[in-house]
Amino acid sequence: MNPRPDPRQLATPGDGIAKGDVLLDVRNVSLAFGGVKAITDISLNVLKGEIRAIIGPNGAGKTSMLNVINGFYTPQQGTIVFRGKERRSMKPHQAVGQGIARTFQNVALFKGMSTLDNIMAGRSVLMKRNIGWQMLWHGPALREEIEHREKVEEIIDFLEIQHIRRTPVGKLPYGLQKRVELGRALAMEPTLLLLDEPMAGMNLEEKEDMSRFIIDVNQQRGTTIALIEHDMGVVMDLSDRVVVLDYGKKIADGTPDEVKGNQDVIDAYLGVPH
Amino acid sequence: MFYPTAGQFKTSYQADHALFPVRQDAILLGVIAVLAFVVFPLTANEFTFRALLIPVLIYSLAALGLNILTGYAGQLSLGTGAFMGVGAYACYKLVSIFPEMNIVVAIALSGFFSAAIGVIFGLPSLRIKGFYLAIATLAAQFFLVWLFQKWGWLYNYNASGAIQVPNIDLFGITVAGPRATAVAQYYFVLCTVCVITLFAINITRGRIGRMWKAVRDMDIAAELVGINLMRAKLTAFFVSSYIVGIAGALFVFLWRGAAEANLFDIPLSFRVLFIAIIGGLGSVLGNYLGAILIVALPVIISTVPEAFGLPIGSATVEHLNVMIIGALIITFLIVEPHGLARFWAVIREKFILWPFPH
Repeated sequence: MNPRPDPRQLATPGDGIAKGDVLLDVRNVSLAFGGVKAITDISLNVLKGEIRAIIGPNGAGKTSMLNVINGFYTPQQGTIVFRGKERRSMKPHQAVGQGIARTFQNVALFKGMSTLDNIMAGRSVLMKRNIGWQMLWHGPALREEIEHREKVEEIIDFLEIQHIRRTPVGKLPYGLQKRVELGRALAMEPTLLLLDEPMAGMNLEEKEDMSRFIIDVNQQRGTTIALIEHDMGVVMDLSDRVVVLDYGKKIADGTPDEVKGNQDVIDAYLGVPH
Repeated sequence: MFYPTAGQFKTSYQADHALFPVRQDAILLGVIAVLAFVVFPLTANEFTFRALLIPVLIYSLAALGLNILTGYAGQLSLGTGAFMGVGAYACYKLVSIFPEMNIVVAIALSGFFSAAIGVIFGLPSLRIKGFYLAIATLAAQFFLVWLFQKWGWLYNYNASGAIQVPNIDLFGITVAGPRATAVAQYYFVLCTVCVITLFAINITRGRIGRMWKAVRDMDIAAELVGINLMRAKLTAFFVSSYIVGIAGALFVFLWRGAAEANLFDIPLSFRVLFIAIIGGLGSVLGNYLGAILIVALPVIISTVPEAFGLPIGSATVEHLNVMIIGALIITFLIVEPHGLARFWAVIREKFILWPFPH
């Protein structure tokens, strides 16, 4: 419905952090569930404007790390500094208010709602009209609704999902559901986007599409991205820096080439006789 | 062919957000509105008003309230009857303490009392869900009905323990009490139901409606897109109980004329829940279809043999009634488990595509 949006309009507004500065700093975080140590004393940072990959074998603590970053888990030790503000515990919906959005490993869409409604729901926090205006509908509430609808349509155009706008997402194939979920996260206009295995279960073509979207989001919108992914080809091509976790510990951190040559990483993935 | 949508294009998002994106829907509603506002009042007799039209409207409203909580926000409640009671008793107290108060104001205010009680009993929903929440609302049901019986102040220490609706005028026309005519009461209920339905539609199609549906479909994801679960759930309890409370006030003031505590007992809750489920959870239209099936059909069935002059005893009619309604409910649920609203949506889709089904 819209012409292809101008990337300059889509860029996230400046928040005082220049490209290349530290956006998110995780300092000495440890997380345990009872006796199970999910994360042990991990520090890592994410720079503004980069694509940061978190990789590691199954059970290495990658998803736990994301859950710590967006406030779903509270770590027992360590602090998290996001946009210069330090915090230890917060509610997930407060993380969204600060500009952190995420997608899930197993698609977590609102199955009974259409694609459009799902993405619109992502903008709930940005919509302000109270229930009184909502009741009357005409006037401010409708204006706000249309204003946000236009932004959502930009995202729908961007992700090329116009044809499924009205389809309940429960009926969509898996690849498209992943795309809608990315759309919902983008609708929150995040500064930091966390993607938990965005390409799990996709075929080659779908992976290529998704990679293109991730790069476009990063470059056109200037969104910083932290992603977890198992497809090493994708990770090495997409990301600026990679951190490798194993058994809840950080074993390597650096550019894709550095990580590829690291002996600990090779051991963790291929296995060594203990 | 009956529903040609070809040629109806949307050129703005405003048009796309209209209440009736398809013109025929608006025409159909117009026809129903003419029937409800003009044809029924001109043709109906006292019995039709009191046994058919008014109760269908009031039950629809109660089901609409419950549907907002259960169908939209996904919080199961078995306390609807008691919340209706709160609305009714609050309205009764308001009218007896402030006899000069306008009945519209009294009913609108009484909704806030049930809304407040609803929010209090909705607090457990922050920790528990599903059947466990249903049990918590069941506790509200038993507690409140007990309170209606034991707290004399609520019924002004009547010897009978029942509340009696006095004669109340609105703009010179008696709308409640023994002197009220059925037509006046019908119009009052109809207007109230129309206004609240419009508000409910507006809320459910906007931001708040999407938040409720998000909480219903996946609460963890809803929280991670920035929805405050506590606020979303409590708003649902508030709006739902408000509407249910209004329905309760109308139930006593505009229809029954008198009420005892046990009127609001669990059968009423179940009745409203049946209407919402059979009509279709997560739909506004469904409440009306459900209420017509559950409330009106028994009345219609029991008057049919009489109309044909068949010599059937009233007890037999009653038995037949239960059997027919029960069979119909089961049939409808098997044919269309998503309720009558979905049934209508499927029919409408067929009409739009006809005569080219593919």
